[in-house]
Amino acid sequence: MNPAEELKQALPGSVMSTGMQVDKPLAVIKKEELLAAAAKVKEMGFDHLSVITGIDYTDRFEVIYNLFSYKKKENLVLKVILDHNNPEVDSLTSLWKGANWLERETYDLVGIKFAGHPNLVRILLPEGWNGHPLRKDYDMDTEQFVTIGEDGEDIVSTDGSNLLRRK
Amino acid sequence: METEELLINMGPVHPSTHGVLRFKLRMDGEIIKECTIVLGYLHRGTEKLAEMKTYLQFIPYTDRLDYVSAMPSNYAYVKAVEELADIEVPLRAEYIRVLVMELNRIVNHLVAIGSLLMDLGASTMMMWGFREREKALQLFEMLCGARMTFSYMRIGGVREDLPDGFIPKLKEFIEDMEKRIADYEQLINNNEIFLMRMKGIATISAEEAINYGMTGPTLRGSGVNYDIRRLEPYSIYPDLDFKVCVRSEGDSYARYIVRIDEMRESLHILRQLIDNMPESSIIATQKYGIIPMTGAPYTAQTYFPRIFTPPAGEVYSRIEAPKGELGFYIVSDGTTKPYRIKIRSPSFCNLAAIPQLVRGLKIPDLIAAFGSIDVVLGDVDR
Amino acid sequence: MDPVTIDTTKISTIKKKPQTALEKLEDTGLIHTVLSAKDRKGLILLTTVDQIFNWARLSSLWPVTSGLACCAIEMMGVAMAHHDIARFGMEIFRASPRQADLMFVAGTVTKRMAPRVKQLYEMMPEPKWVISVGSCSNTGGPYHESYSVLKGVDLIIPVDVYIPGCPPRPEAWLYGVIQLREKIKNEGYGAKWGINK
Repeated sequence: MNPAEELKQALPGSVMSTGMQVDKPLAVIKKEELLAAAAKVKEMGFDHLSVITGIDYTDRFEVIYNLFSYKKKENLVLKVILDHNNPEVDSLTSLWKGANWLERETYDLVGIKFAGHPNLVRILLPEGWNGHPLRKDYDMDTEQFVTIGEDGEDIVSTDGSNLLRRK
Repeated sequence: METEELLINMGPVHPSTHGVLRFKLRMDGEIIKECTIVLGYLHRGTEKLAEMKTYLQFIPYTDRLDYVSAMPSNYAYVKAVEELADIEVPLRAEYIRVLVMELNRIVNHLVAIGSLLMDLGASTMMMWGFREREKALQLFEMLCGARMTFSYMRIGGVREDLPDGFIPKLKEFIEDMEKRIADYEQLINNNEIFLMRMKGIATISAEEAINYGMTGPTLRGSGVNYDIRRLEPYSIYPDLDFKVCVRSEGDSYARYIVRIDEMRESLHILRQLIDNMPESSIIATQKYGIIPMTGAPYTAQTYFPRIFTPPAGEVYSRIEAPKGELGFYIVSDGTTKPYRIKIRSPSFCNLAAIPQLVRGLKIPDLIAAFGSIDVVLGDVDR
Repeated sequence: MDPVTIDTTKISTIKKKPQTALEKLEDTGLIHTVLSAKDRKGLILLTTVDQIFNWARLSSLWPVTSGLACCAIEMMGVAMAHHDIARFGMEIFRASPRQADLMFVAGTVTKRMAPRVKQLYEMMPEPKWVISVGSCSNTGGPYHESYSVLKGVDLIIPVDVYIPGCPPRPEAWLYGVIQLREKIKNEGYGAKWGINK
């Protein structure tokens, strides 16, 4: 029995469906139950959180967690589907410390909020950047510039006159 | 006596941050109380650009992720697309791919060890490492004309076959390298200063390392017998004989030793590849049914379509890059451009553990620990 | 005023390769000024000093260590034994911009890094030169369309020499350095000292 089925048996209420993603078992989890399901999955031996991916499908967001077990040498993919207006899901930082930066990156570039994250601020782009670039409706035409403030931190603005030599 | 905490800023322009990384350090005298890492000074928006490029056009961008070892980045991407489109790659192409990847692993470790020693104040290893690297780069140049950013892999194979005279030159390199590695060990391994600065510094346990998602030599240095080449064999690795280099100490020194050992293993793999190199085509043809122009040279360009449309679907595919687990999550909507590409870069996840590693150490130890993790900023910021 | 006559025999479009020792010395540009100084009177001292200064400057340019991306690895390659930038007296890469007079902008200048690069340039003492290395810092290169990349470093600081390539080969890199040396050799008079280019 593959781990996705196993998870469904253990937590029938929180797994919406199971399937395969190419060669990896996939389980779609209810977004309210993610933390409980992830804790169960970790108990099952999936100790390595490979990657967290956020995807904008214009009508919904999906967050995908790729997990691996060093003991059983098995893969498992968890997926949650989020509402497009208010994408928010529980943070997994309490289970995997590695999730900290991965979630911050997903927040930064895709704009998905992770409830319970200890330090949910932008990581790659400076604080104050307008919009989340990996959303499909991100405005690519407006150029944003960064300058350094008095305290050494970044200030974002669309006016580059302090920075540029000429218009 | 009243004391005060000191805030120290290190980077983004600093010779020991391997690029543009910034540490914000809260110091209690000499001791680091808290280390905050500020990223993003090299964030180039590769993942957004991927959505604007066709599948073939994205290959050059993968070179520029981890620019010290571009071949594995190439491979990780084309492997993901091949899994998505279910393309079978000819055997010779796989052999050539593994050959260039292992060669690149050696190059990567040379740069890693060289710059680690440079950060510690010993410039000899840097000179030596770059001397051997130059020889390897000449091999790459014979192969594809580029020194660092190769774009050598193609979906379904490789761009060009091995040129004449490549194998003899590679054999020369292997023999030379074998001696050089012994030289390095003689120079470094028993150096008192080196040992004092590396042994027992920035130790991380196996559980912690796994919890942080660390991979590659950093994880193997903590005693986890893990290598994707073994655990989830891809390409022709199941047929090859190599051992996974593991050390149990989990300190900076262990991570360095793992790299030295891995170079030996890579040489061992290269030898096997040379001996067993099969004859076949270098690019998959059966899938597309494209007939090349008569008299056209037998290369990837003539066989592989410029516009390539994989079926709709999602795939996560990962490989053991020199720095750790490199994965590509590709979402295809059945058009000529990927809908979303997410890059799981080893440097990013390994770097996340640094604040924990260096708490309670001194600034010079931070440099040593950071060097032993081997981070490339192009890979961190993407 | 006498009409100006030009002796066309003295103008040659093709530069001869210096053969004798004296010709080689003349080729450096130094000896020529000294020899012809008799006719120039008022400018004797200044031009000669200027050329000595230029010669001194171009002979030991100290670059600032400011690798940004891929090209920085190639910069390390250029500095190491095989390509050996030390032959231009440039092997001393300074970590502090205050001690440097040349900046290689080696790699992608992102929006977030741009003010720092500019600050770094402003921290360098005069006279200073900038070489923009690689497509990324020349124009944005492959990342031209990106939301977070500056489309050319010359938008924020003046650039003396552009080296194309992604990344440029070490030979191209050294050629760029030679071009900069040519430029410094022909640089202006004392009046320009200390004035921003």
